[in-house]
Amino acid sequence: MFKKIECIIQPFKLEEVKEALKKIAINGLTVTEVKGCGVQRGYKNGSYEETKPIVLNPKVKLEIVVDEEDVEKIIDIIQKYAKTGHIGDGKIFVTPVEDIIRIRTSEKGRTALK
Amino acid sequence: MGIWEMAQKQVDKVAEILNLEDWIHKKIRECRRVLIVSIPVIMDDGHVEVFEGYRVQHNITRGPAKGGIRYHPEVTLDEVKALAMWMTWKCALLDLPFGGGKGGVRCNPKIMSKKEIERLTRRYTAEILPFIGPEKDIPAPDVYTNPEVMAWIMDTYSVDKGYAVPGVVTGKPIEIGGSYGRNEATGRGVYFCILNALKYLNLSPEGIKVAIQGFGNAGSVCAKLLYKEGCKIVAVSDSKGGIYNSKGINIEELIKIKEETGTVLNYKDIDKITNEELLALEVDVLVPAALENQINERNADKIRAKIIAEAANGPTTPEADEILEEKNVFIIPDILANAGGVVVSYFEWVQALQAFFWSEREVNLKLRERMEKTFWKVVDLRESKKIGMRMSAYVIGVGKVAEATRLRGLYP
Repeated sequence: MFKKIECIIQPFKLEEVKEALKKIAINGLTVTEVKGCGVQRGYKNGSYEETKPIVLNPKVKLEIVVDEEDVEKIIDIIQKYAKTGHIGDGKIFVTPVEDIIRIRTSEKGRTALK
Repeated sequence: MGIWEMAQKQVDKVAEILNLEDWIHKKIRECRRVLIVSIPVIMDDGHVEVFEGYRVQHNITRGPAKGGIRYHPEVTLDEVKALAMWMTWKCALLDLPFGGGKGGVRCNPKIMSKKEIERLTRRYTAEILPFIGPEKDIPAPDVYTNPEVMAWIMDTYSVDKGYAVPGVVTGKPIEIGGSYGRNEATGRGVYFCILNALKYLNLSPEGIKVAIQGFGNAGSVCAKLLYKEGCKIVAVSDSKGGIYNSKGINIEELIKIKEETGTVLNYKDIDKITNEELLALEVDVLVPAALENQINERNADKIRAKIIAEAANGPTTPEADEILEEKNVFIIPDILANAGGVVVSYFEWVQALQAFFWSEREVNLKLRERMEKTFWKVVDLRESKKIGMRMSAYVIGVGKVAEATRLRGLYP
């Protein structure tokens, strides 16, 4: 079946990830500018305390819908190119996709993906 | 050449391409088990008629045998053996955990009453009873057998066991453990294959011309779905003849007319054509959905379709196949094109074993996924090995059975 890979990454890593995905012929990609925080509540080096407000740092979100078989390959690429090794590199989520429909042609499923 | 010999020759050819070990080749070109039964039936007027029936298990290496039962006056053991073998390759190609089987009873259901057919079915089931079962061999509908016949088989088997065993047959009515979408599965599978073939050849479904030979279950469902997709169905035929309209036929109306009057010929504003003329039409897609050997060495060079989607079993003879390959016709071979039926049979069996049933949407999505995945696998092999679509499908199917045989080894 199909899977949606949704990942939140550092905005300055977007170009590298995008180019790497292009090389393995990933055609469909949606990017959104988002704000968010993780375990650190938006603070560096664990400087968060209960009394402080949550800080939402700018990130970008990529959404890619692919064949199940391509998931591992894409995860590897995102990990390789989005990683700085510091807190705030983001996360990758993989979810099942029930169906795909191309609006222009009404093509469905695999045909809509090709 | 007889049909069984033809089926064996096919295996020989594939064995050569796959470079199969001799012992595996020898093993898979024969049928594992053949059961011949005589079926005495009390006819409505009181006299007893004895029919001959068969159940063949060609291969059960990858799982229980799977395949339909046909009632036809001309059924022969050789035919049933060949069909059982094709089921083995088909199930393997589609990655279903089944082997191949087939059954048949030589009778003429068209002149028999419903009660006679029921008694015949029950006695036949009783005779093959030790042979079948959810984990051994699972029959399904075929030529002139339907969900009602499957219900009788299920009942006879279940009465013998003392409890309901829905997993012993597929193609049952929904109420006793059948699956949503099973009835339309074969036609829907053909339709998915055609859409993907169009995609592969860079054609859009909208407005493409389609001719359909045969308006039974597979033909009519496929026609309906293509019609809804915007294809122009210019010709349709059934056993009584064919109809043609260059502007396209309204399939929903045609289905009603066929149901009410028994033939497609009563549709208005059409030219009548013969089956032979239908095959030679200049169309984009030709769907042979009737009987075997319709496209043969006599008419193959007249075919002008870009795509042939084999909804029927064995509609193209090997001689015709060569001619079509030379003409560069894109063939979606029967073991791929009409596999939708056995795919949803598999879903039905799974649902029955789990006693947990799926929605029609779920069934159709899963069917589409499996058909499309297999279609592109066959296309990829065709391109990499530079062989025809049919050979590619066989190479995948036979290859999987061979690998399973190799892994299991030879007993003792």
